Amino acid sequence: MKNKYLTIFLLVLLMILPSIFPDNESRYEEWSKSLLCPVCQGETIYDSPSEYADDMGAILLEQINNGMTDDEIYSFWVSRYGERIITNPINQNLEILIIPLVLISIFILLFVRKLYAKK
Amino acid sequence: MIYNTGIIFSWISFALLIFLFFKNKDIYTEILVRVNLFIQIFLFCLLEIGLFLNDFSVSYIANYSAKSTPPLYKFASLWGSLDGSILLWNLCLSLFMYIYLKLYKDNSSDLDIKIFSLIMIFFVGYTVFSSSPFAGCIELAVVGCSNSTILPFQELVISNIGRGPNPLLQNHPLMAIHPPMLYVGYVGMTMPFVAATSRLYSKSDDTNAWVEVAEKTTYIPWLFLTIGITLGAAWSYEVLGWGGYWAWDPVENVSFIPWLLATAFLHSAKIQKSQNTLLNWNYILVGLMFLSTIFGTFVTRSGVLISVHAFSNGNIGTYLLFGMLFFGFIFIFIGSKNIEYFSKSKKIENWFGKSGFFVYNNIFLFSSALVVFIGTIFPLIYETLYSRQITIGRSYYDILVGPLLLILLGLMIFSVKLPIKNINIEKWVEENNILINSSLILSIFILFYLNNSYILIFTVIISVLLIVITFNNFYKNFRNKKTNTSYWTGQIAHLGIGIFALGIIFNVSQSYSTEKEINSFEEFSFNNQTFFVYDSIEESLPEKNIIKLPISNGSNTKFTSLNIFKNSSQQAISSPAVFRTFLNDIYITVKFIDENSYKLIVRNNYGIFIMWIGLFISSISFLPRLRKYEK
Repeated sequence: MKNKYLTIFLLVLLMILPSIFPDNESRYEEWSKSLLCPVCQGETIYDSPSEYADDMGAILLEQINNGMTDDEIYSFWVSRYGERIITNPINQNLEILIIPLVLISIFILLFVRKLYAKK
Repeated sequence: MIYNTGIIFSWISFALLIFLFFKNKDIYTEILVRVNLFIQIFLFCLLEIGLFLNDFSVSYIANYSAKSTPPLYKFASLWGSLDGSILLWNLCLSLFMYIYLKLYKDNSSDLDIKIFSLIMIFFVGYTVFSSSPFAGCIELAVVGCSNSTILPFQELVISNIGRGPNPLLQNHPLMAIHPPMLYVGYVGMTMPFVAATSRLYSKSDDTNAWVEVAEKTTYIPWLFLTIGITLGAAWSYEVLGWGGYWAWDPVENVSFIPWLLATAFLHSAKIQKSQNTLLNWNYILVGLMFLSTIFGTFVTRSGVLISVHAFSNGNIGTYLLFGMLFFGFIFIFIGSKNIEYFSKSKKIENWFGKSGFFVYNNIFLFSSALVVFIGTIFPLIYETLYSRQITIGRSYYDILVGPLLLILLGLMIFSVKLPIKNINIEKWVEENNILINSSLILSIFILFYLNNSYILIFTVIISVLLIVITFNNFYKNFRNKKTNTSYWTGQIAHLGIGIFALGIIFNVSQSYSTEKEINSFEEFSFNNQTFFVYDSIEESLPEKNIIKLPISNGSNTKFTSLNIFKNSSQQAISSPAVFRTFLNDIYITVKFIDENSYKLIVRNNYGIFIMWIGLFISSISFLPRLRKYEK
């Protein structure tokens, strides 16, 4: 089976691709995608075309250019607008990720157990 | 006139449904269902007439339509807000009740029509006792109406000009199609619920007839839901200038949950029919499908969540919550009566055979629905329990739903014509070696083009493999007359999803945007292209002012525009100029205009056209089913 080696070779090649071409989303983009525009209806400042989002974006860009850390940026926005402004609350509230994961696991376990035929 | 007639006929309809629920003689059923449909059509037309005659003594018309509203949007105003959309809901329900009676009626019992009428009593009851689209205006607001009555023959006041529909809703003709499609999908989920509960209640044998009817009645609403969701995505991207097609907004989520559940059911119903397994699970799915549509209406219409779609609150929240509990109780009660039957459900022996794969499909579709559901109600729970306001954004869904959907994508590779016995993966890899290797080579080519991350690589490999294998299946079986319709439906749908997934991957990994400040008659360059901006053109329509900005890329001139609605405090709506090629869209929206200088958002959105192609292919997967009816 020569083809098998080809398959393995191709898979390995695919797996090392990220180190050759790294992903380069900017910090600004990442942050603007996780800040809610408070006057819009559920849009982030990255998505929203409103002037308000524009002004927020300008402040954010300045913060990033000044080299503020993620924690500093986080507390700046939360202290002004409340927790609601962070659309990506997972880092600070890990339970948001854990609860659904636990529920899914329980569901899958129960489901498979119910259906499992003992031989 | 409209007000009195509307309210009285709503009452008549309500009384008629009560009678339909309690009556004993079969001969009335046919007549009553027809009369009920007729009354609902009449009420629909009546409100439309009111909208076109600008009858502002009716509170709903004064608040959600205006003299200056163009005819098409006047027509669509009927479902532009809560009370009117319940009217459309009722019309759909009565239509489905009629279709059910004609095509799927259980001949041995009248229970299905009784359950149907009970559900209808619930929704018609809302317009009769709580909030009617025909309510008369008794107190004027500055514009429109601030207080209304649902009793007939009252002294009314008439406002001069109406408030007009929400600007978002009068921006493009798609508005007239997207919501009704979703309504048909939503309301249609009543049919499988009725079919399952009524047939299981009066069941005397062990046949799976109920699941057959439930499957048939799920397919049509599922199709409409698919089209409705797709149109919503197209609308927000192509028309509204939001730049995105899916935002995990609560309202989008609650249309996605029934879709996921229905998709799971359409698969597991097949396995019940052929393997006599998953009996109880299918019953649960049918119930959840129906309850999730009421839940969806609750979330979107009760004002408990902030969303681009949410409108109007009032007491509908409690009403729908009560309905959910009530129908949930009926569902559990009938389920518990059938425990003996459900216990005959076969266990799974071949976890790598047909039934095993269908179980995986259900596990991951249901888990996705669960995750989306939890994400949607998390903010509510935090608010009630801890008085904390949080927002669950894209990252939650990317982390949790993303991998689940990826697994589903992988399962599709093996789908449709699986053996009952376990498949031998090693043998499968050997048999399809050429296809696998060519898919991997193709993936490498594609990935050279993309920003890379591991999740991306997996998605590309899996979707390319899915597409290649499906094409191969087409090639192998096209002339084979023995392959049945559901085989082709499945293959076409899965092919579409594979292409769609590839489009999404292009989109999320490649797209970027920038802002340009520019004056009239200047040019800017973006993505190695030069764009020339002309002077803006102002256009004044009765209901809005449009500022159009022509932009040319050398060969084509397109407009991006700002729509500023009169009588509305809401922000202006921008429409994009889209320069489309197969791989990417240059998507330009105008942010604001100051004299002759403009601020533009310029995006390079990849993969959108590929996504639309994929979705289109999936939506036409019903075509092979038509062949069946030709014979």
